[in-house]
Amino acid sequence: MKRTLLLLPLAAALAVPPANASDADEINALKQQLQALDQKIRVLERQRELDDEVAATKAKDAPRVSLGERGLNIRSADTNFAFQLHGLVQVDNRTFFRDGNLKGNDGFLLRRARPIFQGTLYRDFDFMFVPDFGGSSVQIFDAYLNYRYEPWLQLRAGKFKSPVGLEYLQSDPVTHFTERSLVTALVPGRDVGFQIWGDALQGRLSYAAGVFNGAGDARNGGSSDFEDHREFAGRVFTQPFKTSDNEWIKGIGFGLGGSWGNVSSNSTGLPNGSGYATDGAQRFFSYNNGVVASGDRWRLSPQAYYFTGPFSLLAEYAISRQEIQAGALKADLEHRAWEVTAGWVLTGEDASFTGVNPKNPFNPKDGHWGALQLVARYAELDIDNDAFPIFANPASSATAAQAWAVGLNWYLNKNIRASASFNRTTFTGGKAGAVSGQPEEALFTRVQLAF
Amino acid sequence: MKTVTKILALGGVAVLLALAGTAMFQSEAKEIKLLNVSYDPTRELYQEYDAAFVKYWKEKTGETVVIQQSHGGSGKQARSVIDGLGGDVVTLALAYDIDAIVQKGKLIAPDWQKRLPQNSTPYTSTIVFLVRKGNPKGIKDWDDLVKPGVGIIPANPKTSGAARWAYLAAWGYALKKNNGDEAKAREFVTRFYKNVPVLDSGARGATTTFVKRGIGDVLVGWENEAMLSLKESGGDFEVIAPSISILAEPPVAIVDRVAKKHGTEALAKAYLEYLYSPEGQEIAARNFYRPRNQEIAAKYADKFPKLTLFTIDEVFGGWQKANKTHFADGGIFDQIQRENR
Repeated sequence: MKRTLLLLPLAAALAVPPANASDADEINALKQQLQALDQKIRVLERQRELDDEVAATKAKDAPRVSLGERGLNIRSADTNFAFQLHGLVQVDNRTFFRDGNLKGNDGFLLRRARPIFQGTLYRDFDFMFVPDFGGSSVQIFDAYLNYRYEPWLQLRAGKFKSPVGLEYLQSDPVTHFTERSLVTALVPGRDVGFQIWGDALQGRLSYAAGVFNGAGDARNGGSSDFEDHREFAGRVFTQPFKTSDNEWIKGIGFGLGGSWGNVSSNSTGLPNGSGYATDGAQRFFSYNNGVVASGDRWRLSPQAYYFTGPFSLLAEYAISRQEIQAGALKADLEHRAWEVTAGWVLTGEDASFTGVNPKNPFNPKDGHWGALQLVARYAELDIDNDAFPIFANPASSATAAQAWAVGLNWYLNKNIRASASFNRTTFTGGKAGAVSGQPEEALFTRVQLAF
Repeated sequence: MKTVTKILALGGVAVLLALAGTAMFQSEAKEIKLLNVSYDPTRELYQEYDAAFVKYWKEKTGETVVIQQSHGGSGKQARSVIDGLGGDVVTLALAYDIDAIVQKGKLIAPDWQKRLPQNSTPYTSTIVFLVRKGNPKGIKDWDDLVKPGVGIIPANPKTSGAARWAYLAAWGYALKKNNGDEAKAREFVTRFYKNVPVLDSGARGATTTFVKRGIGDVLVGWENEAMLSLKESGGDFEVIAPSISILAEPPVAIVDRVAKKHGTEALAKAYLEYLYSPEGQEIAARNFYRPRNQEIAAKYADKFPKLTLFTIDEVFGGWQKANKTHFADGGIFDQIQRENR
C-alpha cells in the first residue's frame, strides 16, 4: 500500500500520451526509473521480512527463563541444558494431650527447609542437589547425577531415596499426613549408591535396582560408609491400566520393594535413633545400649495404591529382618508393619500420587478457597518378641504400636498447603512414665510452601 | 512362623512379577515414528513419498508408521541434527552437510555413502534459471546474468545447499569458458553476486522472494523448485536451461545413533531403500527430481531439459575441497561479498 502511494504520482505522469519522440524517450526512461524504484522498495520490504525472520530465529535460540508455580526455570533454546530452583519449607506445630507429663515434646518446628537445585546437562544428564536446613543440623538429603539413555533405562549415582517403601518414595510435600506412618519406620531412607531404573511401557511398569552402602531402618545413610558390606535394594511397581480410558481402573498400582545386605557389627545398622518412633517422633521402642546390628538384613514391602477422581488409597506392608548382637548373644529379629491411608478431596479435584492441584486457587475476593482433602490412616508396627528382654527393655519399650489418624489438608494453591491432623497411637507393652506408658494423642499442624 | 513369612513373601514376589509381566506385554496398537530431516524444497516430494511408504510398510509388516518431516536450509538442518534434533534419517542437499554430521556429531558412520546405490543419492537435480513470462531481460545463459541491471535471486551459500550448487555452477561455467582461468572465474562470480539484491537463507525463501514478492529478473536455483513454481504459477514464468550446469546429487543417510536409540534402524533403512524402488523413483520424477532408474528416467525424459552437466568432483575436487576454498569462513564467497559491499 505504501509502495503504491509512493509511486502513484509517477504513474499518473506516465499515463499522459506522448507528444513526440523525445517525450516517448523520456517516458521510457521514467518507466525504467519507476521499475527500478519499485524493485528497490520491494527489496527493502523483503529485507525487512528477512531481518524479522532472523530476529525470530535468534529469539528461538535464546535461553528461556520462566518463573512460576514450578519455581525458577532456565533452559537453553534446544532444551539440552536446564536449571531449576525449587524450594520446600514446612513449619509445624506439635501439641500432645494427656502425655503423662512427658516434657519436651510440644512446640513449633521447622520440619524441612530445603532449597532444591536440579537441572539437565547435555540433554541426557540430570542432577539434583538438596540440602536441608530444617531440624538441628544442616544435612545433604539428595545429591545425585542421573543419566537418561531412555526413560526405561537410566543410571543414577549419588545419594537419593533407596527404592523400597511406597510411602517413603512419595514426595515430601504431597504425603497425606504431615508425618509418614509406622510402616516407613521399617524401610531404608536415603542412601549413597548406584541405581539402574526406568519407566517402561508408557509408565505402566517402573523398576529400580541398586547397590548402596546400606542404612538402618528409617535411617539416612551418611556421605561415606567404609564398612565393607553393601546393600542391594530394588523395587518393581506396575500400573497395568495406566493407559486405559477407564477412570475406575487406570489409577491402580501395585508392586514390591525389598533390600538385602549384610552389616558388620555396628550401631548404624540399627534403626534411626536405635529404635522406632511414633507419628509424633517419640520413641516407643529402643534397643538396649550395647546392641549392634551384625549379620544379614533383608526387607520386603508389598505395596499398592489406587487413585480415582478425588479418592485415594495407599496400602503398604513391610517386613524388616536383621541379625543383631549384644555381646556374645545373637538374634535374628523380624519386625513387621502395615498401613492403609485413604483420602477424599472434598472440593472435587483429582487426587494423585503427586498431589492435588486446586481448580480454584485461594482468592477470597473472587470467592475461591482452594482445595480441601479429608484424610484418614491406620497403621501398626509389631516388634519381634525375641527382642525382649535381652535386646530391648520390656519395661520401657512397647512390643507393638497401633496408630490411627484423621486430618484435613487445605491446598490454597499449587504451592501453599496447610494441614492439621489428630493422631492417636496405642501401645502393647511399655510402662507408665515412658512414651509407651499411655496412648499418644497429638494434634499436628503444618504450613507448607513448596515450589 | 518366620519360614511361613518367607514363603509368603517369595510367593508375593512371583505373583507381582507375573502381573508386571502381564502389564509389560499388554497389547496395544504399534505405531512407530520416523523423523526425516530434509532440506528446503523437498516438502512436496516427501509428502507424496511418505504417504506411499507408509502404505507399503503397512502392507509389508503390518506396522503403522508416522513419518515426520523437518525442512530448512541444508546446512542449517545439518547443524540442528548435530545439536540433537533427533532425525532418524537425513535427506540433505549436499554430501558435505552429511559429512559434517559424521565429523562433528559422530552420529553417522563414515562409510555412509557406500551403503546405498549411487553414493547414496537416489535422485539428482541441477541448477537452472526461472525468469518472468516473456523473459523480459532476454536471459539465455550464464553470461546474461552478469549484465548490468539484471537482478539475480539465489539463496545464501553460507546456509543453503541449493545456493552452493548455484555458486559452483556459475564458477564451473566461467572456468570452462575461460579455459580454467581461476581469476576470470572469480571475476565472473563477483559480478554475479553484485547483481544479487537480496540473499535468502534457503532455496524456498529465494523462491518466495522471486515468485511471491516479485523481486529480481531471474531465480537461480534448483531445477525441481523452478519447475514446481512453473506448475503452480499457471504460466507466469519460464524455465531457462543454461548451456552448462552442475550435476547436483542430493544424498540420503540413516542417522545411525539416533535410529539405534529410537529402535528404528530397520525402518530407516527401508525408508531410504524404497527411494530407489520404481514407485520411489516415479514419485521423485513427478516432483521434478531426475530419477536414477533408467527406465523411469526415459519415461520422464521430456520433462527435463537436456543440458551438459559437470560434477563437483571433476571441477572442484569434491565437496571438502570446494567448501574449504569457497564457503568456509573467510573463503572466496566471503571475500566476494566484502568486495561487493
